[in-house]
Amino acid sequence: MSEITVYLKCERNVETDREDVYIRDIGSLRCKDNKTVEQLRAVKLHHFEPGGAGRCVISVLKIIELMEKKCPDIRVEVVGEKDILIERVNVSERKGIKQVLKIIMVSLVSFFGTAFTIMAYHVDVGINSVFTEVYRIVMNEEPGEMNLLALSYSAGVAVGIITFFNHVGGRRITKDPTPIEVAMRKYEQDVDVTLIETADRENLEEDTAEK
Amino acid sequence: MRILKLVFLTIFAGSYGLLSAAGIFTVLVAVALVPRFAGRTHTANKVLLYEEMLIFGTMLGCVFSVFGEKCYSLTTQLHLMLSEYDGVWRLSGDIFQILFGFFSGMFVGCLALAIAEMLDSIPIFARRISFRHGIGVVVLSMAAGKFCGSIAYFFTKLYELE
Repeated sequence: MSEITVYLKCERNVETDREDVYIRDIGSLRCKDNKTVEQLRAVKLHHFEPGGAGRCVISVLKIIELMEKKCPDIRVEVVGEKDILIERVNVSERKGIKQVLKIIMVSLVSFFGTAFTIMAYHVDVGINSVFTEVYRIVMNEEPGEMNLLALSYSAGVAVGIITFFNHVGGRRITKDPTPIEVAMRKYEQDVDVTLIETADRENLEEDTAEK
Repeated sequence: MRILKLVFLTIFAGSYGLLSAAGIFTVLVAVALVPRFAGRTHTANKVLLYEEMLIFGTMLGCVFSVFGEKCYSLTTQLHLMLSEYDGVWRLSGDIFQILFGFFSGMFVGCLALAIAEMLDSIPIFARRISFRHGIGVVVLSMAAGKFCGSIAYFFTKLYELE
């Protein structure tokens, strides 16, 4: 019997709510023989002890070793990540009052924080004296309380941030992801890389025996 | 002629507003504060809500500081209209002060650490002096230092020095 090539594409970060992790949870397989795929998808990779560490890093070599143990006649081609971070999340922590409180907390910090930031910026650049000066130069008179300069400045700020963040009231203006979404993914990637490298440095990564 | 001048003022201030909004938010996004909050609280799916909050917070701050005088005269009028409910007025004012102070303080604290010390100097410094354990103590000391500095600033009226 000739060797069958199996393509293995793993994801870098996997979240699961079960105790046992199988290959089908961490990525996708491609092979001409469906029976082999089914067998391989059910290979168990890791078991989370209740109360133990809720995170583990598995090397793809370990996965290949386990796959070869199950079906010796395969040749594995890795097309995805080389280290996989598996995190166990509690389903109960995903919902509930605690989660709502956290969301309210972050929302309040974002709201009052930016209000504070823009006010501090305005004080810093002395925006009212700049506006008074410009108004005097152009109009040759003292500005009133609600002058056109201040009004159009505020409108400009509003338009600027809405264009920058690309949405208002939950409706997106174009289909692009927003800057915070982009930064969010980047941050998650950085965290994953850090966790994987830390595990590697502390020899906590589940790797093949012969290293 | 007057109308031309007004058009000029509108364009001038409008473009200033556009650019300063973009400038401030580029800094905020570059520091990646909100992704950190969302990551810590495991609420990455609520990022859109947080962005809305950034938008409305900026608008509130903008109105407060650009139309400060107008806001003041408005609240004075409102206070006169509601003069029978002075207790409620004071209580809601206090609640707003606590909310604004506490949450903007948290934001500024995170921003200050995210920009200056944490991201660049602390890791380099720790590496230079082969500092391995006790980052937790360092962070705690920084928080305590910021707290003491802030209290000292307001109680000794350092802001009057200019």
